Amino acid sequence: MNEQINEDSFITVAEGLTKHFKSGPVTVKAVDGVSFRLPRGKLVALRGPSGCGKSTLLNLIGALDKPDAGNLTVDGVDVTSLSAGGEAVYRRQKVGFVFQQFNLIPHLSAIENVTLPMEFAGHGTNGSWELRARQILEQVGLTQDRHVRRPAKLSGGEQQRVAIARALANDPPVVLADEPTANLDSKTGQLIVDLLHNLRAKDRTVLIATHDEAIASTADIILEMRDGRLLAND
Amino acid sequence: MRTIRRGLRSIIRSPLRTGLLVAVLAVSVGLTLVMITVNAAFSDRLDEIKGEVGSDVTVRPAGSFGGGFFRGAFGGGAPGGGDDAGTDSALTDGNIDEVTSSIDNIAGVSRSLTVPYTGEGLESAPLDLPEGFTPPEGAGGFTRPILVTGTDNPNSLTTLGVTDPELLAGRTFNDDEAEAAVAVVGATLAEGNGLAVGDTFEMEDTSFEVVGIFTTGTQFGDNSVFLPLETAQALFDREGEIDQAIIQAESVDHAERVADDIRELLGEDVVDVSTQLSLFAGISGPLSDAESSSQIGMIAALVASAAVILFSVGLVARQRVKEIGILKSIGASNWHITAQFGIETATLSVVAALLGALATFPLAQSVANGLVSDPATPGGFGGDGPGGFRGGGPGGFAGGQIVGDGGGFAGVGGAGGLLGDVDVAVSPEIFLYALGIALVLAVVASVVPAWYAARVKPAEVLRYE
Repeated sequence: MNEQINEDSFITVAEGLTKHFKSGPVTVKAVDGVSFRLPRGKLVALRGPSGCGKSTLLNLIGALDKPDAGNLTVDGVDVTSLSAGGEAVYRRQKVGFVFQQFNLIPHLSAIENVTLPMEFAGHGTNGSWELRARQILEQVGLTQDRHVRRPAKLSGGEQQRVAIARALANDPPVVLADEPTANLDSKTGQLIVDLLHNLRAKDRTVLIATHDEAIASTADIILEMRDGRLLAND
Repeated sequence: MRTIRRGLRSIIRSPLRTGLLVAVLAVSVGLTLVMITVNAAFSDRLDEIKGEVGSDVTVRPAGSFGGGFFRGAFGGGAPGGGDDAGTDSALTDGNIDEVTSSIDNIAGVSRSLTVPYTGEGLESAPLDLPEGFTPPEGAGGFTRPILVTGTDNPNSLTTLGVTDPELLAGRTFNDDEAEAAVAVVGATLAEGNGLAVGDTFEMEDTSFEVVGIFTTGTQFGDNSVFLPLETAQALFDREGEIDQAIIQAESVDHAERVADDIRELLGEDVVDVSTQLSLFAGISGPLSDAESSSQIGMIAALVASAAVILFSVGLVARQRVKEIGILKSIGASNWHITAQFGIETATLSVVAALLGALATFPLAQSVANGLVSDPATPGGFGGDGPGGFRGGGPGGFAGGQIVGDGGGFAGVGGAGGLLGDVDVAVSPEIFLYALGIALVLAVVASVVPAWYAARVKPAEVLRYE
């Protein structure tokens, strides 16, 4: 990392982050003493083979899981010391998550999926939520006629666009994307990657976990992971 | 608002599952409501019965079943006479004074002494024999005994089980006539002796003024005379003696306790003590059993309802654990998730409860009838037949007389039964009960999603999907 960069310019700081899983008598070191600093406004690729701990690290940053040890600060929030209620607030304000499987609520329309995080945040009105959701959906390239469709009526690429729009709903400073193109064809995948590149506006940091070399090569920073450890910062 | 809308939409996205759940829940909630309704009806009926039973405790000399009537006939004294009574175990004013001064929860006392009179001065009317009845040869003339009852409660004249007979003319005794030679005469006796209010007649060489004429509607009752108690005691040389006291307990609930206290105080070898409540206990037994059954049924149905909804919500929450994980991953708090599931559960409960409430209307009466083993017990005590064992009977088979239709086991086969049919009226309030039950069930069932919401780790449920 550039030593000249001011401490405030780091959106995410991890120190000795550790997460182990017990699998019968075997302990799997999914994340093993990982430390890193991610600057604002960059697209970061977390690269490595399947099972190396990329998703676990993203889950820790997204407060979807708790680390066994280490410290993690995201946009000034000590994620490791959050209560259950604090975690919920953190998830809706500080991070947006894009999953490989899209993970949209199947019985809600695209626009309703996008307004959900806004509703949980509680600021604004139904009207303002819907207006913002439409704007974001159009921003990610989902045409208006698709807004009221349920996920099952959308293509994979469209569903992932909705998922990205949902991740941006509360305008978080960090977007975490776990293998966002794995279930998409290459052309659609590239469109999604382009979209994620565009999210760097407003100093937003985008962290993409991927084992796709083509995607990783376009990132501003590459974190290489093997067996739960970071090998190098690029 | 959006949470409510989302909850409602979650319900209708699986119509078959929702329909089955509502149906099962409606049955169990409906059963609960039926039991509540039936239980209330049973409870009301039991209260009515208690009200009909009254709080009187009857005290008589031990072994004097039927009072003076039987004592006079079989007690060892000369039958039919004024000084006939077998006085093996006489009941006295002193006994009753002891009772009223020693025992609590007594609201009032009335005492009486009934003596069959066959002396001179009054002619008894011939007895109307039952149709088809042929008296045995040499049985003598069938004449009604004249029952002379002394009472210290002229405001509630009682003879042969008929309380408060109808006053046809004149009045009853005044408070200042406790020892006066005044009489209230039965209609038949008055007619047979040409007596009217203001006339006088002789009895045991004493001249009595007729102050009132009454009718009971029965042969024996209308052939009787009421005197002030002390006058009767003096007339028949039985000062201080009575053959019956009616102790009025403060309430029905006190009656048995008062009766027990009297037995303990005076001794069961001295007095026979009975309450109407004990007599009615046997009749109300099936109703009490049914009330208990309905209570148990109500609890069981309620528990079943809770089990159904807990199980269903548990199943649904388990199936939707991924959805919970997704919601948490995008910022939903445990409260958001619990609220959404709570709305779904409350909606299902309310719909099911309302359906159950509607089912209560046609079902409640049938269930009530099914629960009461013999809901229409015929006859029984308290029917409108005359007589009965209460209130000392007349003086026995004096002079070859027989008892006609007035006395005896009156009320058996009388109009209606005490238990009767239990009418179950389902009131609109049942919908409030239904709503209450639905909300309680929803609150209880919301424990499940709350537990899931707190327990689900998004990383785990989304990882293995």
